Amino acid sequence: MAPKVVKTVSVETNNPHEFEDKNVHEVYDAIASHFSSTRYKPWPIIAAFLSNIPTGWVGLDSGTGNGKYLPLPLERPAAIWTIGLDRSINLLQLARTAGSDNVLREVVLGNVLDHCWRTGAFDYAISIATIHHLATNERRQLAVQVKTYALNASERTDRSTLKRLIQSVAPDHGRVLIYVWAIEQDELSKRAIPTEEQDVGEVQGKDVMVPWVLNTAGSPSDGDKKHSEVFNRYYHMFANGELSALTMAAARSIGLIVGSKPTSDQTGSSEGVEIVQDGWERSNYYVELRRWKI
Amino acid sequence: MVRLITHNLLACHVKNCTVNNFPLEFKNVQLEIREAEFNPDFIRGFLPKLEWKALVDTARQLGDTSLPTEQPEMIDDEFLQNLHHVLLEIHVEEGSMICNNCKHEYPISSGIPNMLLAEHEIA
Repeated sequence: MAPKVVKTVSVETNNPHEFEDKNVHEVYDAIASHFSSTRYKPWPIIAAFLSNIPTGWVGLDSGTGNGKYLPLPLERPAAIWTIGLDRSINLLQLARTAGSDNVLREVVLGNVLDHCWRTGAFDYAISIATIHHLATNERRQLAVQVKTYALNASERTDRSTLKRLIQSVAPDHGRVLIYVWAIEQDELSKRAIPTEEQDVGEVQGKDVMVPWVLNTAGSPSDGDKKHSEVFNRYYHMFANGELSALTMAAARSIGLIVGSKPTSDQTGSSEGVEIVQDGWERSNYYVELRRWKI
Repeated sequence: MVRLITHNLLACHVKNCTVNNFPLEFKNVQLEIREAEFNPDFIRGFLPKLEWKALVDTARQLGDTSLPTEQPEMIDDEFLQNLHHVLLEIHVEEGSMICNNCKHEYPISSGIPNMLLAEHEIA
């Protein structure tokens, strides 16, 4: 099948909330069941991250979708609990029974921009393929409206998901894993990204609409003809270095030191976050963080 | 799903509601008891991170009095079993959760709590 060429968009809106409702939330509610049937295989980096979580830990999957990460790790059933949060009620109904072991999952209807938890309540948090759906200055900060990245890095994170994620985990041991779509797509990907107009020297991604074709069987009244309907979802595709830069800015904006934990002979107390790994896997950028406190 | 494992983590997040916003109080609930796989190591690991008083008070409000007011020094199997039951086997299917501070009501429908706020309520 030929790659689907996605459309570059310029998002200019005074109401990002409405924009995301129309171009993200409503679409997922409409395509939930079909979308879910195509999303069952966990990414290796995420599976490994969850396999390494100690027994007894509780985590948040922010933007859980159909909940495919909630049953992991399969080799240690019920050893950890991941609670799924999503904005799509139809996806959550699928997430509730995610996995093949007949276990009910914990899911919560909410927006990834809000923080409806005790601060630092979780031991770990993951955000997989979610942050790229956020469209605005306040949220992820919109690349098309941002002229120089450095100038806006801190305000980009003002009310960002990244900040929420870092705040949701325990200051002394919390771990965070974030995955977003990359501009750089590999050969197995079904999508071709327009490559024009990338300014040199700016670490910024691209805003695109990605089509989802939903096929439905016809009804007897219209001669059982098959219908297909196209739903366009909004995405921000991340450039190389953009995710880690945003993450560091988010950490600094809440007073955390970015770097490894200092040796214990130091006096005074401080809090920080270490980037454990940062890379590209199969058309996605990811970053893993660990919080520390002395 | 609202089991007490999740309830013990949720807090009201209405704009300027920052004190006495935890725990949320259940109202008009319908409960369902479903067995869940018992993993004592999970319960033992999660125990130090629980807000104990909130858990015990809420469990009692839902009619389960198996947990002691103070965490026991001796963690035996019976205690872990009771805690497992309270955290993972009592499902609140319908009803709502109310913030004791600002009185905001978060509805629960088909076992899924709705923590969404209107735009003007968001911090």
